[in-house]
Amino acid sequence: MTSAIRLSGVSRHYGAVKAVDNIDLDIAEGEFFAMLGPSGSGKTTTLRLIAGFERPTVGEIQIYGEVAQGIPPYKRPVNTVFQDYALFPHLNVRDNVAYGLMVAGVAKYARHKSADDALEMVALGAYGNRSPSELSGGQRQRVALARALVNKPKALLLDEPLGALDLKLREQMQEELKALQRSLGITFVFVTHDQGEALSMADRVAVFNEGRIVQIGTPEDIYYRPESPFVADFVGSSNVLPPRFVAPLIGRQVYGSLRPEAVYLADQGHPAQVTSVSFLGTATRVSITVGDVAMTMLLPKGAAIPKAGDTVQVNWDDADLHLMAAP
Amino acid sequence: MSTLSGMLTRISDTLWRKPNLLILLLILPPALWLGIIYLGSLFALLAQSFFSIDEFSGVIKYELTLKTYGELFRPSNFDIIVRTVVMAIAVTIGAAIIGFPVAYFAARYARGKWKALFYLGVMMPLWSSYLVKVYSWKLILAKEGILNWMFETLRLGWLLDAYLSIPIIGGNSLSVSATGTFLVFLYVWLPFMILPIQASLERVPHTMLEASGDLGARPYQTFRHVLLPLALPGVIAGSIFTFSLTLGDYIIPQIVGSSRRFIGQAVYAYQGTAGNIPLAAAFAVVPIILMALYLWIAKRQGAFDAL
Amino acid sequence: MKNVLKSSVAILMGLSFAGQAMAQTMVTEIGEGEGQVNIVAWPGYLERGETSEAFDWITSFEEATSCVVNVKTANTSDEMVALMNEGGFDLVTASGDASLRMVAGKRVQPINIDLIPSWSTVDDRLKNAPWHYVDDTHYGVPYMWGPNVLMYSTEVFPEAPTSWDVVFKAMDLPDGKPNQGRVQAYDGPIHIADAANYLMFHNPELGITSPYELNEDQYAAALDLLREQRKIVSRYWHDAFIQIDDFKNEGMAASGTWPFQVGLLQGDGTPVASTIPQEGATGWSDSTMMHAEADNPNCSYMWMEHTLSSNLQSDLSVWFGANPAVLAACTDGRGMQTAEGCTANGLDDFDRIKFWTTPVSTCESQETCVPYYRWVSDYIGVIGGR
Repeated sequence: MTSAIRLSGVSRHYGAVKAVDNIDLDIAEGEFFAMLGPSGSGKTTTLRLIAGFERPTVGEIQIYGEVAQGIPPYKRPVNTVFQDYALFPHLNVRDNVAYGLMVAGVAKYARHKSADDALEMVALGAYGNRSPSELSGGQRQRVALARALVNKPKALLLDEPLGALDLKLREQMQEELKALQRSLGITFVFVTHDQGEALSMADRVAVFNEGRIVQIGTPEDIYYRPESPFVADFVGSSNVLPPRFVAPLIGRQVYGSLRPEAVYLADQGHPAQVTSVSFLGTATRVSITVGDVAMTMLLPKGAAIPKAGDTVQVNWDDADLHLMAAP
Repeated sequence: MSTLSGMLTRISDTLWRKPNLLILLLILPPALWLGIIYLGSLFALLAQSFFSIDEFSGVIKYELTLKTYGELFRPSNFDIIVRTVVMAIAVTIGAAIIGFPVAYFAARYARGKWKALFYLGVMMPLWSSYLVKVYSWKLILAKEGILNWMFETLRLGWLLDAYLSIPIIGGNSLSVSATGTFLVFLYVWLPFMILPIQASLERVPHTMLEASGDLGARPYQTFRHVLLPLALPGVIAGSIFTFSLTLGDYIIPQIVGSSRRFIGQAVYAYQGTAGNIPLAAAFAVVPIILMALYLWIAKRQGAFDAL
Repeated sequence: MKNVLKSSVAILMGLSFAGQAMAQTMVTEIGEGEGQVNIVAWPGYLERGETSEAFDWITSFEEATSCVVNVKTANTSDEMVALMNEGGFDLVTASGDASLRMVAGKRVQPINIDLIPSWSTVDDRLKNAPWHYVDDTHYGVPYMWGPNVLMYSTEVFPEAPTSWDVVFKAMDLPDGKPNQGRVQAYDGPIHIADAANYLMFHNPELGITSPYELNEDQYAAALDLLREQRKIVSRYWHDAFIQIDDFKNEGMAASGTWPFQVGLLQGDGTPVASTIPQEGATGWSDSTMMHAEADNPNCSYMWMEHTLSSNLQSDLSVWFGANPAVLAACTDGRGMQTAEGCTANGLDDFDRIKFWTTPVSTCESQETCVPYYRWVSDYIGVIGGR
């Protein structure tokens, strides 16, 4: 596995604010890599460090084996899709897409041909003469994609590219992006705050919190085996169980996490108080308190549904109780 | 009392039912003001330029003719137009070249205290009297002034002398040369260039520049293909100021320069001393036509597309 | 009553001879002062001791008449005409190139000299001067006059230059350096008259009798001379203070100027002096004229009397380096001026001075003359290098 992008001990400080704090990261060639975290967690800054818009305070960045700190953005073999797309309002769609080729000195006919091909790829072949302001959000998103890809970058950086789209479009674009990445075979580095997006698309996910990476792993790792209460809470909306709850069960002072769908109603188990019930269509979410710990459970379609205020017995399989060494 | 309030109610009801009437009532006074006072005086001026002056008596003949406009093309008058336009173009280009980096710095980097300092620095020359500024420049540029002294002290006097010996732009000293006039114009009108550019640069999203660099554009290419086109409305707005202000000014070339006339001075001289109102009016029409031409070309070049 | 009768006769005469004067009524008697008088004047002409304590000729008038004097200064004849056209002023100290325009434009009214007791003391040479005496009607009271002298740097000229050619022709000055770039000329079309005055002396075959009345040939010769002058002039001076600055900071050697600048420069210790060269000189002669719709006619007449009878004539001639309109002011000790001072200011050169007047096409000495509006456009061309 060749390393595409490697960050070693990289920090970016703004005065006393540590936007990115001592990060190590190794992204493989051809990988679809997601950087997930709440806003302000450092994921976008990390992406900008890779693109070259920011310089690391300390640490080293390598892109395809080359030390990148001294290389300006316009010389790096990566291209970015911006959150607001950053399409040039004074150029039409074709010239937007052809921009990278134009500044590289490609002749007008050749670059327009390439631009049209790239637009064809994102199903906007007929839109070359439009102005960006005449396009919908989804169309702009594709233009931004085409504009980045036409330069044949070794890695594509995407900064919350789907954030501005509505739900349906977002789901559609998720699939398209994934398919595109597979067919092109280039590295995608994808920043998002939506764990569903990250888990469904990425080969690997890095979870960011307060400028640090708190866990790197496959979506399954992240989802089923969170290493910290933060990951468990942020990624899976898992029930995070404090040590005082976990200790009596297994005899160790550690945090535990329990996915909502792993909790079921039982004849015998832990007594629980139902606080609210909400119907989700395919399942029903029931909020309960076990002792003084709040939990949610997902009941499959067809199960008996308790009412708010009922006292019930709940249980789970020991194998589903995931223990986290980290606090 | 009740009839009065009844009437008021009826009026407000009518206005509510017919919103266009309300808009008309609101817009009428300013429209009249603009129409009568402003356009009226403009047309009065235009009309004057179609009269002519009797060669012998110097009395204005109130017959429509294009003779006065023909006089504009007499060599001595045409010189004035060419001289003024060349100066206005030079001042505009100079102001854009100097103003752009200043505005860019203010828009991109200056924050808080520095921004306040920037506004103060740019605006301060506008607060002090225009005449005071021009007179001080006369002293700076004089043969025994500070600039000359600096050149002498740095043993570069020969350089200044060589420059001043160039015909047209040179002269006996900077203060009696066209270059001096240019420098003072440049100084006095610079704020009018910086502020619109700065406003337009503030509106260019930062990601546009990053996107350009990301796509492989070198800083110069980013400037040429992204920043400049997006800031162009500001540059055009600024250039409208500097160009038209230079076209119309008649004080600066009178105090600093080679005494060769500019359009403003010609208007002043012809309407004042000579009583040749038609020629003064024809001269006054020249900047109007030039500005119209300028805006038309700017529009054709797409200067306002990014608005 | 006798005055009333006399003025009535004057009005009748005006009606029969002048025709156009009938719309303007002349004041026939002076009543109570209105409390104020508004005057448009040249800078330095109306002093109340604020610039320099010794020079005050307003305070005594205000005390004696309780007419408050309000002064509005104007820098050019054009400004004066413009201000008088706007209205709201009673009096103006107009030069010859402005006075006739205001008379023709009916901006000023005839003056009843019988209401000005000191009229008889006015210099006889000025009483009926053509710049205020039109169609046998007085439109102004002579105020002050002076020559446009040749100012020179005493560092460059050990002795006074004897001819105006130092500012008209390219030549080496006594300090061995060329005069190019070191001389100035007046930035007004009236400067054509200075060139004509020079030609009148050196080229008698042109037949110029008055520098303000030029036929086409004479006019063309004057312009040719000015085109030659353009090559050596660094700046055409417009504002007295700019010229003063130029003599201090620009190394100027010579220029036509007013005694006013010479006085101020000498006061500052700048090594300059002035002379009236062999060709004679042009000059200005100002008159106090009264607005056709003056709101304060009584105070106006009181002021006109004051200009002739008080210390004004004497002190102003010292202050401005000019000559009084009342000869006695040089000698009778009413102010600071002395006979020697008047001589130094050029009092005896009256005949050598051709006073500014507006050139018109119907002139006395020739069939037709080149009118002033052409002077304006052609002088613009000359300065522009055409």
